[in-house]
Amino acid sequence: MIETQKLSKYYGNLAALVDLDLKIEQGDIFGFIGPNGAGKTTTMRILATLLEPTRGRAFIDGLDVMRTGKEVRRRVGYMPDFMGVYDDLKVFEYLEFFAAAFNIERKKRKAIVEGVLELTDLQGKRTAAVDSLSRGMQQRLGLARVLIHDPKVLILDEPASGLDPRARIEIRELLRELKRMGKTIMISSHILSELEEICDHVGIIEHGKMVFSGTMDEIRRQMGIQSKMRVRVAGDRDRAFEVLSSLPQIKEVRPEDGYLAVTYAEGHEIDGTIARTLVQAGLDVIALEPEQLKLDNAFLQLTKGIVH
Amino acid sequence: MATMDNILNTVTFYWLTGPIFDKELRVASRRRRNYVFRSLYLLILTLILILFWVEEVRFSYGSASSRASRMYMVGMGITAIIIWAQFCTSQIIGVIMLSTSISDEIYSKTLGALMTTPINSMQIVLGKLLSGLLQILVLIGVSFPLLAIVRVFGGVPWQFLLSGFCITMTAVIFVGSLCMFFSIFCRRAYVVIILTILTLAALFLFFPLLTLFAIHRVIDEKIFVSLLYHLNPYFCMGVQTEILFDPRSAGFTGPIFWPLHCGILLILSSGILLLCVVMVRRAALRQIVGASPGVQSRYVSEQVQEYMDKAGRIRRVWGPPVVWKELLSPLTRHKTLVVVFGIIGLGLLIISYGLFAEHNDLDEEYCHILYGVIFFSLGLLVTLVFPATTITTERESRTWPALLGTAVDDWNILLGKVIGTLKRCLPAWLPLFGHIWLFTLVGYIHPAAMFQISFLVFWTMMFLIGSGLYFSGRFKRTTTAVVMNFILGSVIWALVPFLLFMMLAISHSSDDLGEAYMDLNPYVHLCSILDATARQNSSLRYDWLSGGRSNFWESSIWMLLCGWTYIAIGVFFAWRAKCRFRKNIFH
Repeated sequence: MIETQKLSKYYGNLAALVDLDLKIEQGDIFGFIGPNGAGKTTTMRILATLLEPTRGRAFIDGLDVMRTGKEVRRRVGYMPDFMGVYDDLKVFEYLEFFAAAFNIERKKRKAIVEGVLELTDLQGKRTAAVDSLSRGMQQRLGLARVLIHDPKVLILDEPASGLDPRARIEIRELLRELKRMGKTIMISSHILSELEEICDHVGIIEHGKMVFSGTMDEIRRQMGIQSKMRVRVAGDRDRAFEVLSSLPQIKEVRPEDGYLAVTYAEGHEIDGTIARTLVQAGLDVIALEPEQLKLDNAFLQLTKGIVH
Repeated sequence: MATMDNILNTVTFYWLTGPIFDKELRVASRRRRNYVFRSLYLLILTLILILFWVEEVRFSYGSASSRASRMYMVGMGITAIIIWAQFCTSQIIGVIMLSTSISDEIYSKTLGALMTTPINSMQIVLGKLLSGLLQILVLIGVSFPLLAIVRVFGGVPWQFLLSGFCITMTAVIFVGSLCMFFSIFCRRAYVVIILTILTLAALFLFFPLLTLFAIHRVIDEKIFVSLLYHLNPYFCMGVQTEILFDPRSAGFTGPIFWPLHCGILLILSSGILLLCVVMVRRAALRQIVGASPGVQSRYVSEQVQEYMDKAGRIRRVWGPPVVWKELLSPLTRHKTLVVVFGIIGLGLLIISYGLFAEHNDLDEEYCHILYGVIFFSLGLLVTLVFPATTITTERESRTWPALLGTAVDDWNILLGKVIGTLKRCLPAWLPLFGHIWLFTLVGYIHPAAMFQISFLVFWTMMFLIGSGLYFSGRFKRTTTAVVMNFILGSVIWALVPFLLFMMLAISHSSDDLGEAYMDLNPYVHLCSILDATARQNSSLRYDWLSGGRSNFWESSIWMLLCGWTYIAIGVFFAWRAKCRFRKNIFH
């Protein structure tokens, strides 16, 4: 659905994007991660037809974004990192304005606007002035705006930035709902843990170059990172330590805050083995908590924090 | 003595301005436009100096004493021009520089943060004002070498230089204070600029004129002149210049003393600055109390909400969306301010009509030319400003990418912007049309004037809307775009003819070329139309500067030709603006 080929953008001598190759399949949620100034926003702006690349090509739904800009804009909903609103308009008017801007027939507009208001949970604000909305509400309105013409692709540049935890959770739920509706979503964020929960694929970009692209499992495999499990037992913890250390799949066991932190090689289904072994050894298992590789850790390991 | 020392130790420059002054200077030093302004200013002054010099060299015959006498006159002429150039440009630049001084802090939400530090509101106000003044002082300073050269010509009294400098600086302080005061309430620089210009026009032009008309029989003329001299910087500077060329003219005025004028203006400025300090503190406290998302934003939102509540039900979109949105935007949110200015303006107008009627001057063409020029200037001022704000304001409020990300055609966006600008500018032309209509009805102005002035206004608007849109698309900041549109108007309608006439005079050529060029000037069109039509039983004889075209049809054809040329240029500008829509969207 989204594809870039050797996409590059230079501002004078400054390389914002260097030969970026990217492929996102239809219906995927793609998390675009990188430090500030890495080239995420530049990529998104090019895909939204608002910026011309220095070289390379980009396609959305098979259409060249440079040559068929107007057609691409009909298929894309782009939400920039900082969104401005027309402060003379009410929420309904604002959305209807954009519906009209996408040539939606007047008789259909009302139903469509009501639909996106419901989807973004803004029905109660339909007559409020857009400038009077809180930051979270404005972000939702931004999402409503990009959904108004029912685009196949959503390009969302840090949609959760500056939002409180509740608003972030709501945005995340909304993105899940959009995925269920079959939208292809490209999302960038600094809240990495959020992307981890909703993204099918992630791309990590630094210094204008993609340093990694793939699924979370692929990250783990590529980095040879071992997984951890936290185990808590009732009774003799030393005995539990000995039992677990004797298992061949387990690389390391060490005490940690009343738990035993168990490190094992990636790819093993270890939790059943641990539970069974401990019970067979006469120990009661109170807690068995898997600890996955966090995107934050992968991000730190894959990037050097170099910015332009 | 110790107390005095303590006071002197406490009242330092830093105590007055805090770190704001330092910060403003750092920021100003990084702005390229400041250096461009200085270079342009110096270039123009040097050009004028060279032209005057060439003019003098041309007449190098005659005795040594007559040559020395001519040198003396040329020296005074150049000095007067430089002092007046400093006087006018420093005020213009002061207004532009300070137009966003407080509003920038309010809308970038840094004012509240500043108030959480030991910096107080007085330091904020004075820091901003004094840093702006320093920039202007530098500008004035760069022309000092030119004045030094003028000393070679001889005979320029230092008193004139000193008085000119002091009057200029106090006028700048007054204008700057006024500008800062408006910038507390108005977000947009152009609104501040317009309000400041209108206030200055009201204070120093309309009030004195009306007062002169009203009391000239009651009060002695010398006392009136003396009063005006001490209250009005423009009049004061005019009198000083008059005295430079003819010292005997001082005897025709009442008691005058320029330091007193400067003192009065400084006291008035202090009053305005005091108000600024109080208002800035209130604005800052509102911002602090409001927390997220920012009080000022909430304050604006309350205004917006109030407007929305009054607006009633939801307005459905019809027709092209950009046109709909542009037509929907309110002309102003500062309704109280508009009502106050409207009432004052209407009051002044009625009084002035009454005074002219008392003197039986309402059927004289000069009276209508005077009104025509004032009303035309008002319309021109607004038309210079609004078009230059259309795209930059969208960029500044970050709505531009969202609009360009839609399927709306660039031509439709351009059309919407042109229609929106027309809607905003038209009310400013209503006084002119109202005046013409009123006096056409009573038979003092020929009906032909209505048609010809309508066309004049139409082409002036189309030209300036085109250029304004271009500058608005070309520049990042609204203020820069507005200034560029002002500069364009000033250059083609004032500076070029001025330089052209000077060069023609120096080259001993006839003035035909200069006069022909002047006949393209909208003010010349306006004056010609009103001169021909504004009298009872008008014979419709038009008097163009270059002569000829004196009958109605010839003049009308000339106006059409001239107008369509300007419209074509305006359309070209608009087309270039459209071509730039998608360049530097995110600037």
